[in-house]
Amino acid sequence: MKRKLSLLLGLVLLLGIMLPAAATEGKKLNVWVAGSDNLRVLYEGWVEMFNNSAEYNPNKHVAELQFLPSGAGGQSIDDKLLAAVGAGQTNTDFDLVELGDDQISRLLSEAPDLMMAYDPAKIPNLEKVSARTPNGPEFFMAYRGTTVVMAYNSKNVPEPPKTTEELTAWIKANPGRFSYNTPGTGGSGDSFARTSVYNLLPDEAFMSNDPKWEAEWDPGFAYLAEIHPFLYKSSGRVVYPNKNQGTLDLLAEGQIDMTPAWADMTLSQLQQGVLPPEIKIYQLQPSLTGAVSTLGIPAFGSNPEGAHDFMNFVLSDEAQIYQLQQIAAIPLVKVDDPATALVADLDVSKFRTQSIGELYVNFNLRWEEEIATLP
Amino acid sequence: MDNSLMQAQARRKKRNSRLAAYALVLPAFTVVMLIVAYPIVNSFIRSFTVRGQAGFTLENYRYFFTTPRELANILYTFYVVVITALLSTVIAYAFALYLRFVKTKASRLISKLYLIPRFIPGMVAVYAVIVVVKDTGVINRLSLLLGLDVRPAMMFNTTGLVFMNLWFNIPFSTMLIVSSLSGIPDAVVESARDVGAGKLRVFFSMILPLSIKDVMVAATFVFMGNVGSFTTAYLIMGSTNPKMLGISLFDQFTRYGNMERAATISVIMFMICSVSAVVYIYTNLKERGWEKR
Repeated sequence: MKRKLSLLLGLVLLLGIMLPAAATEGKKLNVWVAGSDNLRVLYEGWVEMFNNSAEYNPNKHVAELQFLPSGAGGQSIDDKLLAAVGAGQTNTDFDLVELGDDQISRLLSEAPDLMMAYDPAKIPNLEKVSARTPNGPEFFMAYRGTTVVMAYNSKNVPEPPKTTEELTAWIKANPGRFSYNTPGTGGSGDSFARTSVYNLLPDEAFMSNDPKWEAEWDPGFAYLAEIHPFLYKSSGRVVYPNKNQGTLDLLAEGQIDMTPAWADMTLSQLQQGVLPPEIKIYQLQPSLTGAVSTLGIPAFGSNPEGAHDFMNFVLSDEAQIYQLQQIAAIPLVKVDDPATALVADLDVSKFRTQSIGELYVNFNLRWEEEIATLP
Repeated sequence: MDNSLMQAQARRKKRNSRLAAYALVLPAFTVVMLIVAYPIVNSFIRSFTVRGQAGFTLENYRYFFTTPRELANILYTFYVVVITALLSTVIAYAFALYLRFVKTKASRLISKLYLIPRFIPGMVAVYAVIVVVKDTGVINRLSLLLGLDVRPAMMFNTTGLVFMNLWFNIPFSTMLIVSSLSGIPDAVVESARDVGAGKLRVFFSMILPLSIKDVMVAATFVFMGNVGSFTTAYLIMGSTNPKMLGISLFDQFTRYGNMERAATISVIMFMICSVSAVVYIYTNLKERGWEKR
C-alpha cells in the first residue's frame, strides 16, 4: 500500500515537472522596466490586464514585471543588457525591455546584435501608430510619448512667453519667478539646460555624442550664466532645487510662476489635485525635448512569442487609455476618451528628441562648476 | 574517579565550550566581513585607481585636496558637523540636567515624550519640518494672519540644515546623557550640598566630571553620524555650493558616473570619522586612568 502510494506520488511529481516543459502555453514572460514609481504602477496594471486578456494573450503567457526603481544606484537595464552580452550569455530572461529613446543609440552602437528585429506582422495594432523612434526603429517599438513642457501659473502670467527670446526677456523682467532643477537630478532641468545650450548649435549636434561639440558649448553656458541672477532666490541667493518635483513644488506654492516640467508628471498631479488648477502647460518654441518610450526584444530572450503579444496589447485602445489615465502618458494611438483633451496640444510626431550619449557627464560637471557656483 | 581524569574532562569541556563560542560568533563574523569589511577594503583600493588606467595612483586624492570647489566641500562638511555636534551636545546636556534634577509633572511628561522623534522615519521628518519652515510654510502663513510676513529663510541654507540635524540628534544625545546622569546617586549631590557647596560648585566639581565621558561619547556619535548624512542635506540644500560630502558622493556616483572618485570621497569621510574615533578612544583611556587613582 505504502509503496503504491509513493509510486503514485512520484508519478504526479514527474508529471508536474514535465507538463510545463511540454506545453507552450503558460510560458513566463519577463518584462523589464526601469524608472519612477508611476511606471511601476502602469506596468503592474498592464501585466494584470494582459494576463487576463483572452483577446491579446491567446497563448496564455504569464507576464511578470521586473521593475528597477530609478536612482537606487543599481545597474540600469541597458547596463544589465550590455553586461549579459559581455558575459556571452545566449539564453536569458530578458524577454522584453522598456527603454527610452536616449538609451537606444548607445545600446545599438555598443552591441549591434543585441536586439532582435520585431515582426510587424505579429503586432497588428502597429498599423494605427505613426510615431517611430529615430534610433533603431526596427528593433524598438514606440508606445508612449513624454515631453518636457513649460508649466506656469496662469493667474500671475496670463500670457506666457512663446519663444525662448520672449522667455529670456520675461525671466529678466520678473526676477526670482523662474527656476529649473539641477541638471542630473531630473529630466526637466536636463532638458532646459541642454536645449538652452544646443539651441545655439547646429541641429545635428543634439543627436550626436561626438566630443567635438563640447568645444561649442561656451555660448550656451554663457546664456545660462546670464539668466542665473534672475532665477528663484532663497535667503538672498539663487538656488537650484533637486529633482523634477523640487521646482513643481515651488510652482505649486506660488514661490515661482514658471518652470520646465514633464508633461505627464504635471498633468497627473493636476488630476490628483496636488497642483492647483491655475497651473497650465504649453510648449516653448523652439521646443523643450521630448521622447518616445519603446519596447524591444533582446535577441537572447526566451519568449519572443509572448513579447510580440505583449507589444500588440500595449498598442491596444484599452492599454493606451489606461496609460493616459494612470500616468498621463501621451498615447500614440488616437483613442476616444475625455482624458485626451489634456494632451491634445502635444503632438508626438513633432517631439524634439536628443541624444548626446556620454557627453552628459561633462555637461553636468561643467554646469556644476560654472553655474551652480555663481554667486 | 581520580584527579587527572577529572582534569582531562574539564579541559575537554572547556575546549568544547570554546568551539561552541566560535560557532556562535561565526555567522555574525561572516556577515560583518562580507558586508562591512569587504566593501570598505574594496572602496579603499578603488580610490587609488582611475578608470582606463592600470596601477596605483594618487590622482583622485590630488583632485579632491587641490580643487578649490572640492576642498570647500570637505571644509564645509567639517564645519556643519562640528557645529551640529557642539550645539546638540550643549543643548542635550542642559536638557538632560533638567530631566534628571528637576522633578515636576512637566519634566516627567517631557521625559516620556522626548524620544518620539527617534521613531519617525528620517525622510518623513525632513519633509514635515520643511512644510513648517519653508518660506511659504506654516510659520509664514501664521505670520500672514497677524499681518506680518515672516520668512524663516531656512531652505537652501546652512541654518536649516543644522536645525534639522539638531532635530534628529538632540533626542539621541539626551538619551545617552540622561542615562549617564541617572548613574550619579542623589546621595552624592545631597551630601555635597550638606557641607555647603553651591549649585554651580556641585555641577562643576561633581556632576560634570562624573558625566563628561558620556557627554564626549554622545558628541562623537553625533559627529560620526552626520559626516555621511545625505537625505537632510539633499532635500534642504538643493544644489547649493559648497555641498556636504554625502551629496558630493551621490553626484560622483549618479550624475558623473565616476565610481573611483565616489570611493575616494567615502575614504575621506572615513578619515574625518576617524578623528572623532580618536577622541572617543582617548576619553575612554583617560577614564581608566582616573579610576586607577
